[in-house]
Amino acid sequence: MDRVLSDKKAIIIFVLPAFLLFAAIVIAPIFLSGYYSLLKWDGIGKGTFIGVQNYIDLFVNSSEGFGKSVLNSIILALLSVFVQLPLALILALVLSSGVKGENFYRTVFFIPVIISTVVIGQLWMKVYNPSYGLLNTFLRGIRLESLQMPWLGDVRTSLLASFVPIVWQYIGYHMLLMYASIKTIPDEIYEAARIDGASPFKMAMKITIPLIRPILKVCVIFAIIGSLKVFDLVYILTNGGPVHSSEVPSTLMYNTIFHRYMYGSGSAMAVFIVIECLVFTVLVQKFFKVEEFTY
Amino acid sequence: MNKHISKILCFFLAGAITISLAACVKGPTTGGDVNTRSNGTGDKTEKKVTLKLWHIWAADTETQKKPFEQILKDFQKENPNIKLQVDAYENETYKTKIKTAVAVQEAPDIFFTWGAGFAKPFVTSNSVLPLDDYLKDGTREKISKGMFDYFIYDEKIYGLPMYMWSAVLYCNQELFDKNDVKIPETYEELLTAVKAFNSKGIVPLTCGEKERWPGMFFQNILAIRTAGVKKCNEALSGEASFNQPEFVESAAKLEELVKAGAFDKGAMALTKDESEAAFKQGKVAMYYMGNWPAGSFDADDSPIKGKVVCRNFPAITDSKGDANGFLGGSIESFMISSNTQAKEEAVKVVKYISEKMSEQASVVGFGMPAWNGEIDKSKILPTNAQIFELVKDTTGYVLAWDTFLEGADADTHKSLVAEIFAGTKTPEQFAEEMQKINENKAQNKP
Repeated sequence: MDRVLSDKKAIIIFVLPAFLLFAAIVIAPIFLSGYYSLLKWDGIGKGTFIGVQNYIDLFVNSSEGFGKSVLNSIILALLSVFVQLPLALILALVLSSGVKGENFYRTVFFIPVIISTVVIGQLWMKVYNPSYGLLNTFLRGIRLESLQMPWLGDVRTSLLASFVPIVWQYIGYHMLLMYASIKTIPDEIYEAARIDGASPFKMAMKITIPLIRPILKVCVIFAIIGSLKVFDLVYILTNGGPVHSSEVPSTLMYNTIFHRYMYGSGSAMAVFIVIECLVFTVLVQKFFKVEEFTY
Repeated sequence: MNKHISKILCFFLAGAITISLAACVKGPTTGGDVNTRSNGTGDKTEKKVTLKLWHIWAADTETQKKPFEQILKDFQKENPNIKLQVDAYENETYKTKIKTAVAVQEAPDIFFTWGAGFAKPFVTSNSVLPLDDYLKDGTREKISKGMFDYFIYDEKIYGLPMYMWSAVLYCNQELFDKNDVKIPETYEELLTAVKAFNSKGIVPLTCGEKERWPGMFFQNILAIRTAGVKKCNEALSGEASFNQPEFVESAAKLEELVKAGAFDKGAMALTKDESEAAFKQGKVAMYYMGNWPAGSFDADDSPIKGKVVCRNFPAITDSKGDANGFLGGSIESFMISSNTQAKEEAVKVVKYISEKMSEQASVVGFGMPAWNGEIDKSKILPTNAQIFELVKDTTGYVLAWDTFLEGADADTHKSLVAEIFAGTKTPEQFAEEMQKINENKAQNKP
């Protein structure tokens, strides 16, 4: 095994197939999109080179509201980091402290992550249905009928209503990452803390959280990037509507390319999203300057 | 023993992964497979041909599904040497799918499409086959005049018409009678009916505005009422301006309907299928839609069987438009990809299915036949019979605007109507921005 790992030739041979696939399916299209973003093209006929005009149009006089959609995705990123991650953290802390049925709950919380997003979208669409949906029925049941709304059909609520399933779906995923990380912390530290009279809360705040900082950083990066490029659930629930109230960059890009026949402009949006994600990753890395704790 | 089992399992896993990887590799990109098998006797070789065909009647709720599948079966029986690989997709997703397929040169041999502006990009990129040469065998004469209009580009015919659709106002007679409301003949009566139904807690008009085109139907028919068929067609072709009081009026009337609470509260989140289901279950008083679902209203298990009354959309008193104009036209057809390996066979298929669908259209009731032929009047279902009667005296048709307009313009138009629904734009702004479409079109003309 060691002989294989240290043999550079062997490494290259084993990594090559996966790398070729990765380059062809992920890297190459990004560069192609970069090229297409410099064209005015309908996707079918011939395209004309217009340089960075697409990028300027995105922000200066976007008829479809690209700037607002970016703002929406940033709102989702903030919700993910400040609502989804704390919830995941609390669940991870509780589960790893040895409650009864730990394995059972771990599985149950993870199930939304593996259900297809289309299924989740359809499920929540029925929950939000104004006439027979679970949410409005529940409000009627507790005598709050006045709060009933067409959640996905009203411009005021469509954005947040479409974000709830997204935040809900991946709580289990982050919880699992944090849970695994917490489990690697040796018990001796907790024992010592308990002897010194620390409460569970203090232990969580002063011991657990600092020691899982690396995984917290990973979770924050995943949450932010995932939010910036979210597509499936928004597309299924509202398709960016009504009238762009729940538009995010990826749904706007999709509609620009396939319904408005503006491949060049859509590619510019795609490239922007890629660059945006890279920038945020670097920022988060800087913010989380992690010192390795050894124990 | 365990070591052996784990080794075998490993091999299976590796094998499975490799095989699934092989399945991911694309097959040949050409449309059909042609294996020539020469027929010993004659000079005409009996080609065994496989043709790919795409259509939009996937769901069981689509009235055209059963007749179309039967037609395909009959064709296969009569033509065993032509094998059809058929795929069906849902309406909205199909619009994206076919555009992508044509763009990457992977369109199927034969595919369903709407004509006019929708198919224009296909024609300009030479992705579809002109059919003129194949129609000289008498086929052209079999088809009613005027049905080809929206499939002719640069004086060449690219698709064969099947049937003509028109939009009517379906009214649930039972709900009207129970609540003592008169079926509206004028716009004012429509507003009265809306008020009456709202006071009884019944949704007056259902609309699946999530897909944006059901709501667009309302603005389009109102424009026929306020501006008339001729002006609408002129404005759509860019020969007249959208920024005229008549078109502003069409948006203003729609705004009035929305503000009067004519549509379901959650209309903007409803799909067309959901809104149609609400009408089919007798929960909604009126439904303005094309004649496609008419046949299903008369199905034996339909809760509203025998209760549906059809009317043209109410007339607006004292307006300059056409009280008798209809929204509709012959816009649905099958086109042939220019990449197809088997042109003759593909044309044969299209001719066959177009003619047969035209026959079935009147019987099953998803349209008026485009091909001349004997219509067995006894087989026509009641709701369809009503529609045929209604359109007899029409003064003209206007296509749904999103099929007439091209690409981004169609999308802009639908968004503008949606904004009237949501109340985020005024009728004046609507007309102005619609006119911008014409101005951009004029600017981009070479």
